[in-house]
Amino acid sequence: MNRCIRTILVATSVALLAVPAFAADTLKVGVQAPITGSYANEGQGIENGVRLLAEQINAKGGVMGKQIEVVVCDDQGTAMAAAICAKDLVNKGVSMVIGSYTSTCAQAAQKTYFKAGVLQTSDGTADSLTEKGYWTFLRNSFPNSAEAKFVANYLVNIKKYQRIVVISDFSTYADGLANAAEAAIEKLGGKVISRDKIKADSQNFTPVLTNIKSKKPDAIFFAGYYSDGGLLRAQQIALGIKADFYGGDANDNPDFAKLAGSAAQGAFIVNVPSPDVLPYEIAKSFIADYQKKYGEMPPSIWGLMNIDGMRAIIHGMEQTKSFDAKKVVDYLHNMSTPLEGITGQIAFAKDGNRKGGAYVVKKIQADGTYANEYVQ
Amino acid sequence: MDTFLQQLANGLTIGSMFALVALGYTMVYGVMRLINFAHGDMVAASAFVGLTIYTQVLGQAVSLGAVLTIFLLSALVMAGVGVVLERLAYRPLREAPRLSAVVSALGASLVIQNGIMLIWGPRMRIFPELVPQVYWDFGGVVISLIQVIILALSLVLMVALYLFVEKTRIGAAIRASYIDQDAARLMGINVNSIIALIFIIGSSLGAVGGLFIGLYYRGITFNMGWQYGLYAFIAAILGGIGNIPGAMLGGMLLGLFKAFIEGYVSSTWADAFTFILLILILIVRPTGILGERVAEKV
Repeated sequence: MNRCIRTILVATSVALLAVPAFAADTLKVGVQAPITGSYANEGQGIENGVRLLAEQINAKGGVMGKQIEVVVCDDQGTAMAAAICAKDLVNKGVSMVIGSYTSTCAQAAQKTYFKAGVLQTSDGTADSLTEKGYWTFLRNSFPNSAEAKFVANYLVNIKKYQRIVVISDFSTYADGLANAAEAAIEKLGGKVISRDKIKADSQNFTPVLTNIKSKKPDAIFFAGYYSDGGLLRAQQIALGIKADFYGGDANDNPDFAKLAGSAAQGAFIVNVPSPDVLPYEIAKSFIADYQKKYGEMPPSIWGLMNIDGMRAIIHGMEQTKSFDAKKVVDYLHNMSTPLEGITGQIAFAKDGNRKGGAYVVKKIQADGTYANEYVQ
Repeated sequence: MDTFLQQLANGLTIGSMFALVALGYTMVYGVMRLINFAHGDMVAASAFVGLTIYTQVLGQAVSLGAVLTIFLLSALVMAGVGVVLERLAYRPLREAPRLSAVVSALGASLVIQNGIMLIWGPRMRIFPELVPQVYWDFGGVVISLIQVIILALSLVLMVALYLFVEKTRIGAAIRASYIDQDAARLMGINVNSIIALIFIIGSSLGAVGGLFIGLYYRGITFNMGWQYGLYAFIAAILGGIGNIPGAMLGGMLLGLFKAFIEGYVSSTWADAFTFILLILILIVRPTGILGERVAEKV
């Protein structure tokens, strides 16, 4: 009897000891995203997606036996907080970082991850993100230059606009996309009559728009974020500017139409195909799980792009049977068959750019839904 | 020419919002010699209060009555918050060094801002389209219904406030408290009540400003108060802090200044020019355009 109790005690203490040992042997996945601030909608979408994927992988036994532990840091969409987040996540011993949503924040954190040898995957589309030669960086979206070429071709060759205005804010992403679009439009013989900049979050864009109005444009391409894009569109209509409005990829968020209100109708959004029209089986099942867990659709394609980045890194770990960042990246740079992703096939070029990329132009309908206007 | 007139209309619209918010700063400063840094966040809070009243109390009905109810209830709620703020954050420090009260004001600002975030969440909330999108085109200059409402209501409120302060007995008590609190007390004026009244008026005007922001721009975030607070603060200094007509003039001028700089010079430099203007005013005319009526102080 006594012996029996002793055995139980020993067994219990072993089990108790085993718990911290087990906890230490998790795979820590960092999420660096704007959980608060103007882009909170997107940041929370990334966090939710990562938590869901981690849950699913853990339920299947984890990554090579290691359970995933999600560590979140809120970069608030600002470069300063992003730099602090990077240090924080590295100190907490994460082996990969998902995010951030904005190029500015991804860029501010990049170097820290590079120095620490921590893999980072972001949907940031600024070309500069992959131009520094940081091997730790994997872009899970497609670069601005690809979108710029598509937009220029559409505006100049297909719609034949004569007087195009390009607007951006001052962020790494928006400024980069706008400059690339301006260059691409001019290369195709189009005319950019005005290249304007607005201050993100300043809400009042009527002074800039009034100037634009006097130049009588027939198309406006806005390369900033939805939180400004919706207001810009509303104020454009309020000022009676007749030009067609094209929002770049970061305008692809339900809040765009809500902000613009009745003015949203007829605006165009350029982006890769949106989550609800993704044709892939894996996309349908993941989005269904997401809706079941959170009771809403993912806010946009960007969260899913990041999830694909995370899936690619985990795929790399499993294929190389290693947690060594260098080995995983080498594998991902040289994959012979691409991984089937939620947002399409995933494969990376040597510079960390995601290969491929097709865009669509969507028109916002009276009820706020999108209808495809042009598919590449 | 029509571009100029359009910029003028743009500037006056945003200027009247600045003016409404600036009044809150200037009135508190007039009596207490304190910059109420929490005022900008109160303005942001009122937009959220208005949104909640619309969705929870009014059940999302759109009518003129609904809009009026939102304005009245929000102003009432924010007036209450203003009085509580004064009781908790400023009255205990009335005799303390000025710096303590300023630190308390900054703390109150953070508390309110984070309070908004905890109650309504960090996401941008979208204000309903309560005012129909009606526009009038005057030969290229487009004026919208909401702009007319903002301008007209602001002017009415400001004229009413001016008459109240200049022509009524309570207004005289407020002016007396501006000049010398102790002397006012000796004359039988209850300065504590006057200060509470100042917070009620300032907060309700700020509430109207916050609702204008919600109605006009539609996207409201928990941290937007900082931006509007800062501009309104500059407007108050521009017109002469402590001076009620000065705040109105300062707000309008700042709105016009920003519109013309953004329109004709560069939106990149609009903020820089705004602050340069502030510095110039402080160097050339430290008391602002209308200035404090220093002579009365003797």
